Amino acid sequence: MKKLQPIRIIGLLTALFAFSTCTKLDEKIYSAVSQTNFYNNRQEVMAAVLRPFTHARAWATMQDRHGYWRLQELTADQQAWPQKGRHGYDGAQWIRQHYHEWTVTDRAIEEPWELIYWGIGFCNNTIRDLTDLDFTRIGMTEEEKASIIAETKVIRAWHYLKLMDLYGNIPIVTTVGEPANPPTRPRAEVFAFIEQELKDNVDLLPNLEPSLVGRVSKAAGYAMLAELYLNAEVWTGTPRWDDCIAACDKIINGECGGLNGPPALDTSILAPFSVTNHKSTENLFQIAYDYRASGDAPGYPAVFWHYRQRQIYNADRDGNNEWVVTPNAFDSYKDNDLRKQEWFLIGLQKKHPALRDPNNPADSIVLGTEEYANQPLVFVNNIRRNSEGENGEGGMTRGEENSGARFNKYRPGQVTDPDYLGNDFVVYRLTEIYFNKAEALMRKNNGVATQEAVDLINACRKRAFTDADWPTEAYTTSTLTMEELLAERGREFIFEGKRRSDMIRFGTFTTASWWDHQPSNPDKALFPIPQKQLAINPALKQNKGYD
Amino acid sequence: MKKLCTFLARGGLPVLLLLLTYTTSYAQTKTITGTVTGSPDGTPLAGVTVTAKGTTTAVQTDASGKFSITVPSNVTTLVFTSVGYQMQEVAIGSNTDLQVTLTTSASSLEDVVVVGYGTQKRKEVTAAVATVKAEEFNQGGVRSPLDLIQGKVAGLTITRTQGNNPNSGADIQLRGVTSLSGSRAPLIVIDGIPGGNLDLLQQDDIESFDVLKDGSAAAIYGTRANGGVIIITTKKGRSGEPRYDYNLYVQREVVAKKPDVLSPEEYLQMPLAKDYGSRTNVYDMLIDKSNLSHYHNFAASGGNAKANYRASVYYNQANPIAIRNGRTQYGGRLNINQRGLQDRLQLQVNLATNFNKADLLGGNGGDFEQAIQRNPTAPIFNPDGTYLETDAFNNYNPIARLNQELNERDQQTLSGDARATLTLIDGLRVSAFGALVRNTYNDRTYRLKASRSSQQSYQGGGYASKSNYLSLDRIFETTVDYERRIGEHSLNAIAGYSYQYGTVETFGVSNNGFLTDAFLDWNMGAGNAIRNTLLPAPGISSFKEDNTLIAFFGRINYAFKQKYMAQFVLRHEGSSRFGANNKWGNFPAVSVGWMISEEPFMQQYQWINSLKLRAGYGVTGNQGIPNYQSLVTLSTGGFYLQDGVWFQTYGPSRNPNPDLRWEKKKEWNIGVDFSVLGNRLGGAIDVYTRRTEDLLSNYNAQQPPFVLTTLFTNVGTITSRGVEVLLTAVPVRTKDFSWNIDLTWNSQYNELTSISNDLYKIDRLEFGGLPSPGNLGNSIRVVEGGRIGDFYGKRFAGFTDDGKWLFYKKDGTKATAGQMNNEDLTVIGNGVPRYMASLTSNFKYKNFDLTLFFRGKFDYDILNTQELYFGNKGWSPNNMLRTVLTRHAQLNDAPQYSDYYLEPGGFVKLDNITLGYAIPVKTVYIRNLRVYATGRNVATFTRYSGLDPELQDTGFNTGIDSRGFYPRTLSLTFGLQVGF
Repeated sequence: MKKLQPIRIIGLLTALFAFSTCTKLDEKIYSAVSQTNFYNNRQEVMAAVLRPFTHARAWATMQDRHGYWRLQELTADQQAWPQKGRHGYDGAQWIRQHYHEWTVTDRAIEEPWELIYWGIGFCNNTIRDLTDLDFTRIGMTEEEKASIIAETKVIRAWHYLKLMDLYGNIPIVTTVGEPANPPTRPRAEVFAFIEQELKDNVDLLPNLEPSLVGRVSKAAGYAMLAELYLNAEVWTGTPRWDDCIAACDKIINGECGGLNGPPALDTSILAPFSVTNHKSTENLFQIAYDYRASGDAPGYPAVFWHYRQRQIYNADRDGNNEWVVTPNAFDSYKDNDLRKQEWFLIGLQKKHPALRDPNNPADSIVLGTEEYANQPLVFVNNIRRNSEGENGEGGMTRGEENSGARFNKYRPGQVTDPDYLGNDFVVYRLTEIYFNKAEALMRKNNGVATQEAVDLINACRKRAFTDADWPTEAYTTSTLTMEELLAERGREFIFEGKRRSDMIRFGTFTTASWWDHQPSNPDKALFPIPQKQLAINPALKQNKGYD
Repeated sequence: MKKLCTFLARGGLPVLLLLLTYTTSYAQTKTITGTVTGSPDGTPLAGVTVTAKGTTTAVQTDASGKFSITVPSNVTTLVFTSVGYQMQEVAIGSNTDLQVTLTTSASSLEDVVVVGYGTQKRKEVTAAVATVKAEEFNQGGVRSPLDLIQGKVAGLTITRTQGNNPNSGADIQLRGVTSLSGSRAPLIVIDGIPGGNLDLLQQDDIESFDVLKDGSAAAIYGTRANGGVIIITTKKGRSGEPRYDYNLYVQREVVAKKPDVLSPEEYLQMPLAKDYGSRTNVYDMLIDKSNLSHYHNFAASGGNAKANYRASVYYNQANPIAIRNGRTQYGGRLNINQRGLQDRLQLQVNLATNFNKADLLGGNGGDFEQAIQRNPTAPIFNPDGTYLETDAFNNYNPIARLNQELNERDQQTLSGDARATLTLIDGLRVSAFGALVRNTYNDRTYRLKASRSSQQSYQGGGYASKSNYLSLDRIFETTVDYERRIGEHSLNAIAGYSYQYGTVETFGVSNNGFLTDAFLDWNMGAGNAIRNTLLPAPGISSFKEDNTLIAFFGRINYAFKQKYMAQFVLRHEGSSRFGANNKWGNFPAVSVGWMISEEPFMQQYQWINSLKLRAGYGVTGNQGIPNYQSLVTLSTGGFYLQDGVWFQTYGPSRNPNPDLRWEKKKEWNIGVDFSVLGNRLGGAIDVYTRRTEDLLSNYNAQQPPFVLTTLFTNVGTITSRGVEVLLTAVPVRTKDFSWNIDLTWNSQYNELTSISNDLYKIDRLEFGGLPSPGNLGNSIRVVEGGRIGDFYGKRFAGFTDDGKWLFYKKDGTKATAGQMNNEDLTVIGNGVPRYMASLTSNFKYKNFDLTLFFRGKFDYDILNTQELYFGNKGWSPNNMLRTVLTRHAQLNDAPQYSDYYLEPGGFVKLDNITLGYAIPVKTVYIRNLRVYATGRNVATFTRYSGLDPELQDTGFNTGIDSRGFYPRTLSLTFGLQVGF
């Protein structure tokens, strides 16, 4: 063999490693976008602005997950998620919510915090990115910039409003990532921040009009202010009734626009919640849904529907048979109350006519699958083991598949309808503004109804009764007591995610008994700061009673 | 684009090497003959491999121990190797008729061990490396190549949770859990291709497995070695007479144990039972009673010392126990070796392919769950010929699903690699290696218009989908290695560069609203959903990602007097997956060995043949996480109204982490290799302790100010420690009869040492979520300082008089389920086996061979969720297990998770029994002929009452016997091996 010369070896090694010097480790992103190559046109900008709105579906609307809406209802006196045989025990978490025995590690406590701050993070991110963006480069005006940043700040304020409602004392952060450990702020300070943000920005918003359905307009902004001021006494110790009335009047007087001219109470008690409720004259702010156009459907079927409920509506899905109406809530309606007849399912359940076998009359009945497997499904106004012969009040572990009256306020239409499952979730509607103003007027008047307050409530209530019944059902200044106002508020806004706040404001949340619930203690009016957050942020302070 | 260009430029390197010219001359040859006999009885040894040292030229001895080999004239030494005997090198000298006597060996000190970027002799190895050669493989039909070594390597857990389902893989884990969110399986290296595809390996094409167990062995593979490294070497071409090998087996399976459910008559006595009038056993209908699998592998090899090859083709039809659950595969593997430039240039090319078609519809757990719970009086069909659907919660007719749906995968996998090695001067070699691995599959599904899915979710319009997957890995490596021996010092060093670039692309579409079932999925556009907005929207998706891994590495082996040995390894590696501040990491290792038996003071102990002490420390990493985790990307967040039009929204999908870095494992390993009593008894004992730090996971982030709840970051530590023992013994070895025993045993303890640091913290990790109904929550909880695999739940305290649950509160009092809260829960068991062992007994009598293989796992608990749900009277109107009448007769309450359902899980299985017979043939045309019969999973000895005590024991979801259980089978295999 011929010896290789050393020079050749060196040359070869050099050549070898010349090929071996690539040390680039950049990641190329193919199927996502980064902040550096986004915001090139109006649609991209709006895609970021609207991100908190789709996110709010998770926590603000009727969803089968721990959010603001679920906590507001399951801890209050109208809804319960009882164990129904082998279903619904779920680690006893619904039982704890009903009994006000939640713990600092319950997901029900952790997740609303996470979801709402997540939405705030989207807002902060958008505000930062858009503030630095040259709008003229992408063909937008400075006025548009000011308006959409104002809209983002107002919806952020709404997030803080709801967080403050649940947890009271919370950190305020307006910049992504700063500070690393934001400290707890007392509730009064949070209140002041929200008030300032709303006042500074609400008038920069456009009036509500049909093209702004699902968006935060001036009407939404003033509705937030009305809610803030109505609860000011609870949240800060200082009542703000006149400010509340002023905010309500802005809306009632038509200064904030509406979906169909100035806002007006809808004549139908179902229209504000229907699959075409983006046209309802009374809706002021809703989280928009259009199942056909977007593929996203509202979450109420999973929460409320029975395992066979598709047969009732001719729908394309069934539910998880979770929530039922407590007997006391159902009994609070008089039988002639149209809301009792329209907003609930009770008694024998029949299949939608489109699904019945015309040659087999027995086929028109919906059958149960559990305790009443292969027997007619009959929703009953009690929550107890009837199949085992139980009598009495029942309880949170005593449910069956047919326990309790069921939700029918939002209806899906049929699967063959163009608007199927297109119900927007109503956050604020004019009826609530009427109720807020009436309550402020009464509280200003030492808890005694004024005629103006009675007129406002009667305007809403009248829709729930036939003309024949109305004369005996209308309120007067003597029959509309504060207690009656809370009851009527409950009847009107059932399922809408407002009950806990209302009960707190009327002082009954921690003191009253209902169905399987005994009075808890005043500290339960606030939820604890989740243990998980306390563990990683030393600047957070636990709420009173949870140390 | 630039990456592609540089890659091509690198691929040109072998060409460059070839351009360096040398003069070639024709090599002279000579022929050596001889006889090989065995010590001590002097019987002729057949099948001994005789290799010309330094070449690939090799022959085997015939039945009378004779051989004849033609070698280049410059070859001076022949190497004799045979299983069970010590390798021997014999100088040729002028003698062309050699008499060679081999002595028995149990220690195999001269065996070659593949250690990554090179080989060592067993006696030189200073790290913990286990080798399993083809002769020791589990026999019978296997689905995954790793089945071949199940139970053969102490500390290596290979679990097939899906039994013999041919469309499932094996769960592999070495020395316990090493990661929370990253990959935990060992790195598979096939003939030098890191991350090689196991589908490309056929059992008859594999030469050996080498398992790099500890950190000092695995560090040479840097950021991918935390889970250990399994190096698989395939059979290669060798010179000599052309050889053909054909292997065949047929396999039949029967269910090992069926669930014991109520008979229709018993069922009808239960509350809520409904009599549909029929008597149907759906479980039996899901079983393919006439299942038969067969496998064929044909290999040819030959060539001469300068150029040789091995080519194999295979065909396999796997028909397992479940219906609609098959797999047909075929493919080939080609190896070509060439030497040139006066033997200075070695070229090796490998090509491997696998084409498979899998029926993915059947064999899923849901079908078997339905089979247990379906009303046993319900017929499959209604009187009108439609399928009968029972009405209870979560019911469906599994036979209808299997008959009305289609779900197939058509997959092609290919790898090609080439290596050129040039010897520059004696002892100094440079090498370039390039490889491509391409994996692509097309999935197709169709659901008939009349199917339940179509009726319930697609308005009766049928449903079709198709999707494609393509992954392509490109690898380029260069190495320089140098070997030098000066007096009593020997030195071996290697340095190299490695570049790997991988991409994954996917595409999928779905449609519904078909007028006719005639097209199945072959006319996707015919579905109305693309126009009719009243139908569920058709789906369309596409995706691409890439990643790059670059490394510089080196290893130095030094030995003095072959007595004191040391190895140093350093890998400097960067991965695109990590944060901008931490792309690169260093992975050092050092190990030392002391061959004590070579010391003069040991010479008095004649009964000790060899004794070596090893110690090593190594750092490895893990980059097995998804791509792009350190970057903020904006991703879609659902549609929302924008000026009257529904558009996607975009928002941050991740909290940024520019500091994201690899997980790092630091491991100590101390071992002893020994061989005593005339090499009749040998083995290895290893003790290790490992600490995996900077665990990657999604940790709770301060929220606010972070946008999202969690940050993917490095926090936390897992530690494990264990002992591994390998013993091999030859109790009997006579002319006609021999008996070999292999024993492995290991213990392991895994602990989650920490899941917090100054910034981030998780207070607990939960796993093992229990299914609906009841949402009973997670069954496994790991906390800081806790053992991995701890069951966490309520403690059973009895039943009330009316059959309601009672549990212990924290204070020891008894309470009902509704009164239990988080504070009352505690650790109630653990699902990870503490000890595992296996025992192989191999008997040979004349031409017969018999292997008995026992395998066991010990000291763990099983959560029997079948009893939890199906063993509860409340499961009615569904059918139930017969235990509702016996074991759980007193229970009259909704299902609750507690230690009531934990059972001891230890077991011993007679996992493999093989009887073979080598048929003596007196023809020159047949070299060898063997037939064998294998039974697998023959018997299980356990206290566990469920179907099979061997459940998932890797990762974190351990010890849970789920409701839908793919049947474990006893399989019977008949095989034929013929060489000619």
